[in-house]
Amino acid sequence: MDIIERYLEAVAAQLPTEDREDIVAELRDLILSRVEAREEELGRALSDEEKEAILHEIGHPLIVAARYRKGPDSLIGPELFPYWLFGAKAGLIVIAAVQALGLLISVLGAPADFGRAISQAFHGFFSGGLTLLGALTLAGAIMEHYDIKPKWLTKWRVRDLSAFGLADPAKWGASLAGTEKAKSEWLPKGARVWGVRAETRGAADALWSLIFSGIFLLWWMGVIRFDALSQFTLRSGEVAVAAAPIWSTLYGVILALVAAGMVVDAVTIARGGADRVTWALRIPLAAAAIWLAWRLFDAGWWFTLTQGEQVAKVMGGPANRIGTELLRALHLEGRGLEETAVTLGAVLSWVLVIAMVGYGVSIVQNLWRIATTRAR
Amino acid sequence: MDRELFETMRLELRRGTLVLAVLACLRTERYGYTLRQALAADGLEIEESTLYPLLRRLEGQGLLTSEWREEEKRKKRFYVLSPGGEAMLAALTEEWRGINASLERLL
Repeated sequence: MDIIERYLEAVAAQLPTEDREDIVAELRDLILSRVEAREEELGRALSDEEKEAILHEIGHPLIVAARYRKGPDSLIGPELFPYWLFGAKAGLIVIAAVQALGLLISVLGAPADFGRAISQAFHGFFSGGLTLLGALTLAGAIMEHYDIKPKWLTKWRVRDLSAFGLADPAKWGASLAGTEKAKSEWLPKGARVWGVRAETRGAADALWSLIFSGIFLLWWMGVIRFDALSQFTLRSGEVAVAAAPIWSTLYGVILALVAAGMVVDAVTIARGGADRVTWALRIPLAAAAIWLAWRLFDAGWWFTLTQGEQVAKVMGGPANRIGTELLRALHLEGRGLEETAVTLGAVLSWVLVIAMVGYGVSIVQNLWRIATTRAR
Repeated sequence: MDRELFETMRLELRRGTLVLAVLACLRTERYGYTLRQALAADGLEIEESTLYPLLRRLEGQGLLTSEWREEEKRKKRFYVLSPGGEAMLAALTEEWRGINASLERLL
């Protein structure tokens, strides 16, 4: 086959079938015109090398064919790329935070497995990161190809922009450290302007809450596992933890409450920080959380620990005298199964009591904030 | 002066003017090869791999019409401005003159 036809065949293979014949015919005419002009100039027929030099000037078949493509030239165009980059940065930070938390829990649960936990965390970060980048690129390529322009690309509001700062790891660090500068940056504008002293819940807090709630929800639904929570080691050997029936009874309620909390967190981030709307939304959430904590507290039996033949229930609640139980637990010597169950029962009892009081206080706080802060 | 940077900027500067040049050149009917020669003769070199897809795009946008005809023993595709292309050329020419005048004042 002639060198020119071989070249044209390579171009044709990359072209859409409906236009292929037409484009190739035009390219053939172009190439032959150039060959003829050169031949006229030299007064002789061109060698294959000389023809190839002309084809080189015209371009690689992939490049030439790509220029005829009707769709976009790039996978992610310049308009969409900053959004892709933000999504990638923010997503990778979230994945890193999730893995760090998982690592922390694993290490606390089984310090001896530190090496394995580290390697799992790295593996989780890289596989999660690559999946995220792949998914973002796929979504971006689809948007680019079909020229999809969501409202957030064109109709953005200044008040929503603070969430974009959340992709800045420096701000996260400062926010976590609780520096005054970070606090002032994350606090809602209204609270600063009107001088409200009550501690307000900023967008960064809401984001952290959203991430941790998301991890909890995934764990609660069985999507991810933290082995350290279902099994731990005492000096006397491995202990298996089984949930008491109250957790199955309240499964849906807990799921709904955490999901509702995530929605409020998302609203807080979207509004650039806490305000009267989000404070109001948190009041029924806190009331539901108090009810839930009381149901758990009232149930009195939370977990069952099993170690070989030995079984011990983690119990507490109003039926037990939680103060004296805790004191007894603290004075118990040894780390046997029964002692561990008593300690856990006492600690959980106190955690639930403190949670109920905390949620009660947050209701009063939020009511106070709503009453004393003017609307934005 | 950074020659590489200059080359990039020069290409960027020229890119926007190529459509105007092609439209202007196609007030007279031509096929791809002679169009490229005409543009080169006026100092506007353009690669074939850029010119031919551009012609198809302009035709797709309704600014050019084309027909296959035999000339010099070979079938060639001839392009010429459509009525829509003529109106577009007039509008773009006016815009170009405005930009040119502004730049002349600045330079």
